[in-house]
Amino acid sequence: MTTSLKKLVTAVSASVALMGAGHAAAEIQIGIAGPMTGPVAQYGDMQFSGARMAIEQINAAGGVMGEQLVAVEYDDVCDPKQAVTVANRLVNDGVQYVIGHLCSSSTQPASDIYEDEGILMVTPASTSPEITERGYELVFRTIGLDSMQGPVAGNYIASQNPERVAIVHDKQQYGEGIATAVRDTLKDKGIEIAMFEGITAGDKDFSSLVTKLKQADVDYVYYGGYHPELGLILRQARQADLDAKFMGPEGVGNKDINTIAGEAAEGLFVTLPPSFDTKAENQELVKAFEAKGEDPSGPFVLTSYAAVQLVADGIEAANSKDPFDVAEALRSGSFETPIGTVQYDKAGDMKSFEFVVYEWHSDGSKTPVN
Amino acid sequence: MQDLLYFSQQLINGLTIGSAYALIAIGYTMVYGIIGMINFAHGEIYMIGAYTALIAITGLTALGLAWLPLILIVALLCAMIVSSSMGWAVERVAYRPVRGRHRLIPLISAIGMSIFLQNYVHLAQGSRNVGFPALIEGGFNFSADGAFEMSLSYMQITIFVTTLICMTALSLFISRSRTGRACRAVSQDLGMASLLGIDTNRIISATFIIGAALAAVAGLLLGMYYGSVDPLFGFIAGLKAFTAAVLGGIGSIPGAMLGGLILGVSESMTSGYLSGEYKDVVSFGLLILILLFKPTGLLGKPEVEKI
Repeated sequence: MTTSLKKLVTAVSASVALMGAGHAAAEIQIGIAGPMTGPVAQYGDMQFSGARMAIEQINAAGGVMGEQLVAVEYDDVCDPKQAVTVANRLVNDGVQYVIGHLCSSSTQPASDIYEDEGILMVTPASTSPEITERGYELVFRTIGLDSMQGPVAGNYIASQNPERVAIVHDKQQYGEGIATAVRDTLKDKGIEIAMFEGITAGDKDFSSLVTKLKQADVDYVYYGGYHPELGLILRQARQADLDAKFMGPEGVGNKDINTIAGEAAEGLFVTLPPSFDTKAENQELVKAFEAKGEDPSGPFVLTSYAAVQLVADGIEAANSKDPFDVAEALRSGSFETPIGTVQYDKAGDMKSFEFVVYEWHSDGSKTPVN
Repeated sequence: MQDLLYFSQQLINGLTIGSAYALIAIGYTMVYGIIGMINFAHGEIYMIGAYTALIAITGLTALGLAWLPLILIVALLCAMIVSSSMGWAVERVAYRPVRGRHRLIPLISAIGMSIFLQNYVHLAQGSRNVGFPALIEGGFNFSADGAFEMSLSYMQITIFVTTLICMTALSLFISRSRTGRACRAVSQDLGMASLLGIDTNRIISATFIIGAALAAVAGLLLGMYYGSVDPLFGFIAGLKAFTAAVLGGIGSIPGAMLGGLILGVSESMTSGYLSGEYKDVVSFGLLILILLFKPTGLLGKPEVEKI
């Protein structure tokens, strides 16, 4: 009696579980993980707005293999510990594809979990080379690497024939990584590095650093890190009459640096992914963003759009929803996206991606530098 | 000459930050001196002071007010009023109900208060860095023939002068006024003071209010000096000021001033001659050394076990 009852209960629960699975299969969950709050939330806004738009448009066009995409959003605050929690929640929620994370230091620990649990990850923003150096099968990105961005910045600084260059970074994976790449490029060109020094992210007082830069009499300062610190450095440097040009990676290139640095942001050089939103073939998409009252010009909006689209195209090309099949399809195919034709190498990096040098202005606009 | 100018510049940088640390440290040291507890929510009170000042400045500028001293004074008053009431409320909510219990209990309730205030500002003001308008610009430049030019900005002078005024006023208040005398009596012996007819609850509230008002002054000054505020603004500053208070001898007001200045100068000298990466290592290392060799701090009185 008891055994048959047990069997009955098992059978019922199994069928309920199957029904549940059957229901879930009618839609494909796409996880979007990035900072919704915290000091770099403005980059998260770009990521979420790009990914949401892609999901919306793909669904409007009939979805993927006849199924609708559903966005599931997670906030990692750009904090590695939080990113691991988010990754575990994603696993529990049964999500199989992730667009994210944004900060390299979050992406790296989270990707360990995704790889183990068979979840496909496409990061639209993390540029640290280490992320794709570990031979993972399910890790992709729609952005270039620090090892590409650093040389672009280094070559630009070298082309201006500076006498002495200082390199400052925030000791984080992203900032220090890119600062090291810039240093190596400059060294190869025989330019004197007067200073290579770390600061503490979250610090506010840079008066000693600025004094030191003044003493070292540098022409160029390269900063590897994000805008809250560089904004303050620029402002405090201006107050102390430091006469040097500043340059930073895409992590400093957003309009929030203007609210912190004010006039001091004028003339800052930034390496950014090319402005995909000015390309002729993307104008229809740009209009769609503008119709929603969103700004498509941020560096990560269209890379996030492309990340979602690649997942969708990968599923179609593989004709399977298994993340490993999708990864295989992404590696072997060639895909047309708003960020150009995407082809992947074995590591999960795009075969070609270029960064462009821009000059930043105090009103938040930017002009390309040739 | 070059080196001397460089040294003086780093000294000025250090003294500027140090005097602001001292203003915040007063709050820790006074509360400790009177009730023997550490107010961990003090850093957040400082942060709220900075936000209030920013809101007041933005509001006044939007109203078309252009006379700088008036803007600054109104902003300072707003910040001091809001922070003081916060300080008072923190004491009522997080300290008074648990006063006299085991020492850990008020400590934990203060940490809870600090987390609450931080997250409250997160929600109310957003988590982004907000730029502080540069109201006081310019300064004096000193230069020898060489390339290095030492500068002393008006903002730095403002910070020194304001700190000096606040500290003098506080010293006079503590040594001359009736409430000040009561404060000293309560800090020597709370039970006895209450037997002699001093309203100890009022004195304890006054301590929190004074500490918070000085933290608000520091909030406005450092907000303008650094150029931005965020909800985590108070955490590190609070930690540094706490270190300054312990360094100088917790419970001692001149100690807090001395501790603040020593901390500020040692930070800027470390960044200037060693590397910015070691700044916190040196300042907290200093704290450990002091605690090992002189546990009561530089100017603290050794605690006499009362029988």
